[in-house]
Amino acid sequence: MAYLELTNIHKSFVGTRAVQDFNLGAEQGEFVSFLGPSGCGKTTTLRMVAGFELPTSGRITLDGRDMTNIPPNKRNVGMVFQSYALFPNMTVADNIAYGLRIAGKPKAEIKQRVKEMLALIHMEEFGSRYPFQLSGGQQQRVALARALAIQPRVLLLDEPLSALDAKIRLELRQEIRRIQQQLAITTIYVTHDQEEALSLSDRVVVMNEGKAEQIGTPSQIYNYPKTEFVAKFVGQINLLPVEVVDREQGLVRIGQQLVRAGQTVDHLNGHKVRLAVRPEELNPGYLENANNLTGKVEAVTYLGSIVRVRVDVEGNPVSLDMFNERKLAIPNVGSQFTVTFPEEACWLL
Amino acid sequence: MKTRKLNLWALFWAIVGLLYFFVPLYGTLDFSLRMERGRLSLKAYQVVLSDPQFLASFRYSATMGLITVAVSILLFLPTVYWLHLKLPQARPIVEILTTLPFIIPVIVFVFGLIRTFSGPPFHLTESAFTTDILITAGYVVLSMPYMYRSIDIGMRTIDVRGLTEAAQSLGSNWFQILFNVILPNLRGAVLGGALISFALVIGELILGDFLVRPALGPYMVQVGRDAAYEPAAMAMLSWGLTWICLILIQFAGRGRGSAPQLTGR
Repeated sequence: MAYLELTNIHKSFVGTRAVQDFNLGAEQGEFVSFLGPSGCGKTTTLRMVAGFELPTSGRITLDGRDMTNIPPNKRNVGMVFQSYALFPNMTVADNIAYGLRIAGKPKAEIKQRVKEMLALIHMEEFGSRYPFQLSGGQQQRVALARALAIQPRVLLLDEPLSALDAKIRLELRQEIRRIQQQLAITTIYVTHDQEEALSLSDRVVVMNEGKAEQIGTPSQIYNYPKTEFVAKFVGQINLLPVEVVDREQGLVRIGQQLVRAGQTVDHLNGHKVRLAVRPEELNPGYLENANNLTGKVEAVTYLGSIVRVRVDVEGNPVSLDMFNERKLAIPNVGSQFTVTFPEEACWLL
Repeated sequence: MKTRKLNLWALFWAIVGLLYFFVPLYGTLDFSLRMERGRLSLKAYQVVLSDPQFLASFRYSATMGLITVAVSILLFLPTVYWLHLKLPQARPIVEILTTLPFIIPVIVFVFGLIRTFSGPPFHLTESAFTTDILITAGYVVLSMPYMYRSIDIGMRTIDVRGLTEAAQSLGSNWFQILFNVILPNLRGAVLGGALISFALVIGELILGDFLVRPALGPYMVQVGRDAAYEPAAMAMLSWGLTWICLILIQFAGRGRGSAPQLTGR
């Protein structure tokens, strides 16, 4: 049995099924992210772990103990909110000490723990400040320290970086991962930002319409998406309508151009399926014994370190990502352009 | 030039407004100081403040005011908190209910109280103590629009749900959340409602009169019938007390939580 286990979790609100048949086992010290679009049920699932929502059915166990109906103040689960939720009437030190005071810890222990927490978030000098005297990033650090001060069995973070600007978000992301690894605390992290989920997590749960579409390591999620939703939601992807030509050899056709997929096709010859290939797996030019697709350049977009070229192949847009370098040969819009990719780079959905 | 014209116009109306407010006040103050013929003195104030009946009625109304404030806070703070947290959709209905004391005349209300609670099974008007319970309940109802609104507005300025859940995840029970987290962040709002409620009880006439209790309101009316200068002195004292209340509200309202964020995100 896993350290934190969610079994057959369902949650319905009036007229809405927020979470359906959700199952997850998180090991001690593991960092698991719930990734998905707004309204997919990721926050609701997190709130059920915290105890703020009760599952309509299903079971939540933590370290072998059934937590399903335990009230939130008895779970010893730390929570960090998107809105920080720091107590405005208390100083930073008082905010961090709050949970320890409620638990009736001795004063000396509280003082020591607050000091440790301030050091952990690199804010030793800020103990006497009030939340309104801090920036958003600093407030979120304090919220993290406050949640960790009580030495929770699980740390829950509900889109903690959403309200911050890009630079602070990146810094704090690394900080969260450092602290999580240092304390080896089991962590559930809710986000709609795929980069955050992929860069932070040991495992990612991609959610859609209340269900877990796929659970896996970041590399499994990105490189081997099991559903079209996961393929489209995580990263950029080209999805091309193709017709099965030879199912044994994994040969498909887009218009008049043949492509060999790196797998045996489950569908019968003549069936319409979708060919998936990531833009960064495509290369410019023609290569013998590889898949090649030719079309007309529709657009060229600079994205800083990457140049994205969109090619019209048989009426379907195909995007190709090239690393930007000073001597990169940029194709002209309207010109004929061939892209090549190995058969193992593509798969059928 | 146009801006200058507009400023003069604004200044004119400001002066008219100030005169409208201060001239009657000055008249009352001047009158209250003329008890002794031919010179200004504080004689009327001396008479009022040395009257044992005044002190007794003031003490009674102040005590009732403090009890009303305590009961109101204990009643409305958890109620409004619960409405914000669990029943936000019921807030419009409760808002209408809380305006009823403005709509129903106090005289109708007091007759309703007497008819309902003076007979069996309550018999609340048969002793001074039980009548005081009844009058306190009446004061709580009359102060409800002010106390409810003050707390409600205060709740709207804080993230009630976020703070509650944060405190819960840190191990707090409902009582600890309410008194450690919510109440300190509503200090100004609660104090505002409390002071307005207190001032209302101090000046209230009809409940005290019809329930035959020694409140300040009925005493002031009686003095107004029998004397000339003393009512003016009492009006000034009452006005001064109101201003002290307002200054206290302003002072208490300058909470740390309401200050703007000093740094960026």
